[in-house]
Amino acid sequence: MGRSAGAASAGGSLNLTTASRHFKREIASLGGIFAFLAEFAVGNGISEGAAFKLNLVVEELFTNMVRHNEGGGDHIELSLERSDVMLHLELTDVDVEPFDPATVEEVPVGAGIEARRPGGLGIHLVRTMVDSLDYSYEPANREMKISVTTTLE
Amino acid sequence: MFDMTRGDNGIISLKGRFDASQIEAARAFFERITESCTLDFGELVYISSAGLGLLFATQKRLVDAGEAMKLVKLNPHIREIFQIAGFDNIFEIG
Repeated sequence: MGRSAGAASAGGSLNLTTASRHFKREIASLGGIFAFLAEFAVGNGISEGAAFKLNLVVEELFTNMVRHNEGGGDHIELSLERSDVMLHLELTDVDVEPFDPATVEEVPVGAGIEARRPGGLGIHLVRTMVDSLDYSYEPANREMKISVTTTLE
Repeated sequence: MFDMTRGDNGIISLKGRFDASQIEAARAFFERITESCTLDFGELVYISSAGLGLLFATQKRLVDAGEAMKLVKLNPHIREIFQIAGFDNIFEIG
């Protein structure tokens, strides 16, 4: 846990700021997560629009982990890293079964209400709003990581 | 914080952040909507798929009964989310 800030690269041209925190595996953690994200956004001069997107992406991925891995570890780790133009975030969940968000079916967003069904919307929003969405799973320690990179506005 | 109120004019105002932690309270409120109405998003600052899902379920139930919700005063971020979700095909958005 903790937070560090400052220049990072040997060349001095890349300004990196990172933060990481563990959150209890429950939907009620969202309030603390949003406060953490707000602190990070203000501290890094992240725009209102990018902060909205960051809130949404983290909520969708975190709530998916809570719902799909009920028997998992007590906490989920959220890590953030901002460079000059990019934001990278990673959620790490341990002692869980694999769940690749890429396996979630596409949502027929062009369809009318008669053809629409509930579900899958969160992952659809994340896929649409970020530059990359990567998933990895380590069977040895049953650890799942979801990483997202998005361009800052 | 998230709040829902129905005004004397019948318009339902949503206020605050409509996220997954608010769904149970919101569901109880939305289940009581049985007729066409307008939802004022003027003071709603955030919504996630949890809120969208509840709005969708309510609209589907209403449309099946010949009724519908209309949404007004969406901020630009929420409007974009509605477009990405394809909800501009599902709701009349003013």
